[in-house]
Amino acid sequence: MQRSFLAQNPSVIWFIAILALFNVIVTILSEVSGVGVISTSFIKTLGKTLCLCLVAIAMDVVWGYCGILSLGHFAFFGIGGYAIGMWLMYARTELIVIESLAAQAIPSTAAEISDAIGNQIFGVVGSSEFPLIWTFADSLFLQLLMVILVPGLLALAFGWLAFRSRVTGVYLSILTQAMTLALALYLFQNDSGLRGNNGLSGLQNIPGYRDLPQSTVSIIFFIASAIALGAGYVFFAWIVSGKMGSVIKGIRDNEARVRFLGYHVERYKLFVFTVTAVVAGIAGALYYPQAGIINPGEIAPIASIYLAVWVAIGGRGRLYGAAIGAAFVSLVSSWFTGGGAPNINLGFYTIQWTDWWLVLLGFSFVAVTLFFPKGIGGLFDLLVRKQS
Amino acid sequence: MSMLLEVSGVSVTFDGFRAINNLSINFAPAELRAIIGPNGAGKTTFMDIVTGKTKPDEGRVIWGDRNISLLGMSESQIAMEGIGRKFQKPTVFEAQTVRQNLAMALKNPRGPFVVLMHKKTKLNAARIEAVAEQIGLSDSLTRVAGELSHGQKQWLEIGMLLAQEPRLMLVDEPAAGMTPEEREKTTDILKEAAKTRAVVVVEHDMEFVRRLDCKVTVLHEGSVLAEGSLDHVTSNQTVIDVYLGRAHA
Repeated sequence: MQRSFLAQNPSVIWFIAILALFNVIVTILSEVSGVGVISTSFIKTLGKTLCLCLVAIAMDVVWGYCGILSLGHFAFFGIGGYAIGMWLMYARTELIVIESLAAQAIPSTAAEISDAIGNQIFGVVGSSEFPLIWTFADSLFLQLLMVILVPGLLALAFGWLAFRSRVTGVYLSILTQAMTLALALYLFQNDSGLRGNNGLSGLQNIPGYRDLPQSTVSIIFFIASAIALGAGYVFFAWIVSGKMGSVIKGIRDNEARVRFLGYHVERYKLFVFTVTAVVAGIAGALYYPQAGIINPGEIAPIASIYLAVWVAIGGRGRLYGAAIGAAFVSLVSSWFTGGGAPNINLGFYTIQWTDWWLVLLGFSFVAVTLFFPKGIGGLFDLLVRKQS
Repeated sequence: MSMLLEVSGVSVTFDGFRAINNLSINFAPAELRAIIGPNGAGKTTFMDIVTGKTKPDEGRVIWGDRNISLLGMSESQIAMEGIGRKFQKPTVFEAQTVRQNLAMALKNPRGPFVVLMHKKTKLNAARIEAVAEQIGLSDSLTRVAGELSHGQKQWLEIGMLLAQEPRLMLVDEPAAGMTPEEREKTTDILKEAAKTRAVVVVEHDMEFVRRLDCKVTVLHEGSVLAEGSLDHVTSNQTVIDVYLGRAHA
């Protein structure tokens, strides 16, 4: 009866295989290999989509498996983006400043260089001082640590307060919405230290690699995103299988029963909430260098709601469902809103998809919830049943 | 003989309604006990207090050889101390297999990181099979709990309690909705369990209580009305007036 992890989770092999194949095909068709069928900007879209799949899988673990409908996980995603964005912006500005000051006859002091960098970065918000939170911005290693630590500690603190008071269900959802809203509103302020509504920009330029064409950068990030997604998939598949999976599914289905079995439910919830927040942060840190810009609008409450919609449409309670949902909905969404879908002329009225896409998405969400509660992932059940 | 659980002078009020009124009740380390009483007598509230779900306004709940107070402990801590509870409505994890249900209940360390690193062992598998044997579900280990019949779910929940290896089992209406044959088997399981631990059964069905053949405590309006053998309490005039009279009406 002892079966290996992979034998118990055949979806892991399938998922990794398809992801690897997809990677090879995209790399061959990209501009890097010389074929150039897929444009650099579309590679970036695909790379970003992989990051969205990763955060969707995390959302599925916290919601689909543990039953905590967090509507704030995109906040952690955004924090990850800000953390890496600070280093990208600082390091790149530093190089530019040093280069321009090198032309001067008298060598600049360290203070002058620091002032000039501050001016470049914070000029838009009428400041040149480095706020305290930029203390480690010159160190890639420390900022990478922040990608993990800040979302993790925020989730730990928030979760501890919320779960300890036994806040559950819709009340917890509202609380998480409040958290992401509060964070977004704070970041919108100019004196938040993160350039207010301007956000951080120019993140697509990797400091020290100015001569590297964006076509190469995009492929590197695409592959990195794929590796992160694959690793995340294996990691979460491992967590939700086995005894830990039993306990967190038990918490989803009957929290009180798990408690009377002697499990400290709050600790389990806190564990799941924090781990998924950290993964969301990592996904964000890979996403925003591909997007090139991050601003507080990214972590508006609606973003986290979209995340839940992706998981619901893809099929919650199964990891690949969440990934499929995120990829499908976000790609279709950019097709509709990017002018890809032809407008429909009804004679008296023209349906412009840029306006009507959200309505369509809303109806799809309602339809999936009512008629296909298993989502797109449920189609695989039909497939498997036909075979057997 | 020292007592396993001593409840003394406990009272609890919900919105002015006194659900438990100066209740005192004791249980020995290995005994089978039935608690009966009309609706609203405080049977379920009594269980809620012992398992930590409800905090009493006053009184003491003293547990075990070290005489520790259960008040102020969380549900999971109390469960780890060795008090298991079966709910009135069968509550098993329907989305998971019988084996997974039992594995989760099996007495083992309960911390998240220990559980995360948990590896299946032959010893645990044997323990699960032994419990499954006791509750007659040996052939159903791989079945999803949601597919089981009502009676089988009740047994599975009793099995989960046994797997916890508690020193005190609180069992709420184990025979509800069972066929006569199923009842008989349930009686056997509970009697067997009571040989090595305290088993407290809350039950409405007098026939079932008679079959358990044990000491009976009658609760009424949140306190003990009578205690003794079934024949002793059923011949008590007050018990007949407040409970049996109504039940037979």
